[in-house]
Amino acid sequence: MYKRLPRVRRRWQLGLGAAAALLAAAGLQFFDANPATSQSLFLTAYSAGSDPGLDPADGVWKNAVPVQVPLTAQAGTYAAGGGSIPTVSAKALHYQGKLYVRVEWADTTKDESTTKVENFSDAVAVEFPAKSAASVPALCMGQADAGVNIWQWRADSQAGIKDPVDVYAGALVDMYPTKDTLFYTARAAGNPYANPDQGPVQTLVSQTFGTLTIANVQDVRGQGAWNNGNWAVVFTRSYAGADPSQAAFADGATTDMAFAVWNGSEGDRNGRKSVSAFVRLTISGTDLGAGGGDNTLAIALAVALLGGTVVIGAGLAISGYREKAAR
Amino acid sequence: MPPVYNWQLGRQMDYRYPNGGAQRQFAAVFNTNRCIACQTCTMACKSTWTFSPGQELMWWNNVETKPYGGFPRHWDVKILDLQEKANPGAQVWNATKKDPKTAPYGTFEGKTIFETADGVNQVVTGYIPTEDEWKGPNLHEDTATAFSKNGVSLPEHSGWFFYLQRICNHCTYPACLAACPRNAIYKRPEDGIVLIDQNRCRGYRKCTEACPYKKSMYRPSTRTSEKCIGCYPRVEGTDPLTEGLPMETRCMTACIGKIRLQGLVQVGADGQWLEDRQNPLYYLVHVAKVALPLYPQFGTQPNVYYIPPRWVPRDYLRQMFGPGVDDAIAAYTAPSRETLAVLQLFRATQQIVFSYKVEPGPKSGEVKVGNQVRELFNDTVVGFDSKNREIVRVSVDEPVYERPAKVTMNTI
Ligand code: SF4
Ligand code: SF4
Repeated sequence: MYKRLPRVRRRWQLGLGAAAALLAAAGLQFFDANPATSQSLFLTAYSAGSDPGLDPADGVWKNAVPVQVPLTAQAGTYAAGGGSIPTVSAKALHYQGKLYVRVEWADTTKDESTTKVENFSDAVAVEFPAKSAASVPALCMGQADAGVNIWQWRADSQAGIKDPVDVYAGALVDMYPTKDTLFYTARAAGNPYANPDQGPVQTLVSQTFGTLTIANVQDVRGQGAWNNGNWAVVFTRSYAGADPSQAAFADGATTDMAFAVWNGSEGDRNGRKSVSAFVRLTISGTDLGAGGGDNTLAIALAVALLGGTVVIGAGLAISGYREKAAR
Repeated sequence: MPPVYNWQLGRQMDYRYPNGGAQRQFAAVFNTNRCIACQTCTMACKSTWTFSPGQELMWWNNVETKPYGGFPRHWDVKILDLQEKANPGAQVWNATKKDPKTAPYGTFEGKTIFETADGVNQVVTGYIPTEDEWKGPNLHEDTATAFSKNGVSLPEHSGWFFYLQRICNHCTYPACLAACPRNAIYKRPEDGIVLIDQNRCRGYRKCTEACPYKKSMYRPSTRTSEKCIGCYPRVEGTDPLTEGLPMETRCMTACIGKIRLQGLVQVGADGQWLEDRQNPLYYLVHVAKVALPLYPQFGTQPNVYYIPPRWVPRDYLRQMFGPGVDDAIAAYTAPSRETLAVLQLFRATQQIVFSYKVEPGPKSGEVKVGNQVRELFNDTVVGFDSKNREIVRVSVDEPVYERPAKVTMNTI
């Protein structure tokens, strides 16, 4: 649904617009953030007191402050549908040179089998700019001078790739002349996606639409768990990326980060998914305390930003209403 | 979307990519009148390419019985229905807007599967047949439309069915390729064969959804899609068996009903066939116009052509093969001397016939077709390979040998 813009912009409306811009800029300044790289959401990875491991239910996550990241239908070079998952709850920690990201979202259906042609898997991905990125990458799959590094966890991969005869107990097959890998064509062609030993997470690199490719080194680990209509997935990787096409992290550094969720029962795959905008991830030197670290600054700013936006929005809405009534 | 020319529809249409890819195109003619549904082609393909775990429900080549059968179940009815719903009452041909070269069947005034798609959720209108729909091919489909108490007679049988042989059409404007967001599908310039790169595919099944002929199939054991590869090592002549010469595919050469002829035709930058008068496929499709594309209205410009079954009600056939049906059946029922000669090339050799010539022979008889008496001539057709060397020679009259009354053991 598109809101109709008032036909005539009055001077005070322009004033409100300018105020909004200033307020946003002030916020960005406050955080010493480059407006080109930063959006209005901030996630901080505090230093964990113990190794969070891969278990999404590990107690160490309890104290980490989540950021609610809104998702929308993906609308990149071409629209591709999706949008059935409205938000993810993201947390981040680091421990001894490793970044941990935990993503949780509500999904009432646990879609982890892709044996049937009509079934698609639940999945989640986090995206970072490549270490080599010369500018801010395009959110959707990056661009030539600024690639992205995507870590994707898939429910069907975690459940394992199976032959249909192993899924359907009563399946009747006369015989297979051979079960040699050579005849699992995609596997023989070296497609990691068809490799049953790949594990649930793949790390991929991309430099624009249609160029998504598996990274040479698979060094991201992860694990998901579905409980009571919620998926929780943990990713982890060492700070250093295996090569410049992958993301790199450091204590005290900040980077951009985006999320995508696929809902299998909605037919989500490839571009058909729910995606976020870039979120600013800070790898803080502060220890994760019982209170979840010092996030007051961010919260104060967020409240200020929100307040400002509400005032501006209300102002514009009233003016629009008045104009409509006058017509 | 750039406009491309679709000569089967007699008009331009929208396609995701500009044309100009293929210089030669894999093409075939299937004579539905001769098929006995023995499924030898089907087994030839299966035993060559799809015998491994995960490929159980895959039949790159299949023969189904019309009007009730379909693999996957009701595939064509479903697409026709989607198209009709998207453009109600307007999926029509104008058979009078014709041109012998650029619009040989008339002009399709409805919308193609590319033109009815919303462009957001789908680049191509289609659907994914469920696993269940790929199961049990051919079950209960060998059924005529009616029991004809008093027998049947031409031109249209009152109770009828016929066999439809299907492989990937290696379309000029492949829907599978247009739908793939990963650029994992490509069309080879040297022969127009459409392939899925098994290294790049990530099992999105957009091709399975988009292909109107449902010839891109999902393989759960690798989570990728696979499809008919046009037996490319044979067509290339790189299969050891071919001794370096382009050879017809497994499903073609295995055909004991001799219904199939496959080859390579030359195409121009606009996707139209370049004039190649002595290529048997060019002759059958563009000169004799006896063979027609399957559901041309989908818009992919498919490259398998069918000689329609003579006994089937024409409205059904027009829906399936377009408005060229009446002329094609006429040209097959009373074939010219040249057509009769070219039809002898079907399954006369495994090598691809690139050109032919007809050597006239003496009159050998007369036959009554309808009310007309036709003369038959024992002409000889000679086929040549890519290097213009003679590879086959067949006469219209089949040579007859009489066995001696007393035969020895093991003589046939
Ligand atoms: S028949 Fe289907 S799979 Fe084959 S080229 Fe055409 S659209 Fe692709
Ligand atoms: S051309 Fe080859 S791969 Fe394609 S259906 Fe025929 S035998 Fe199978």
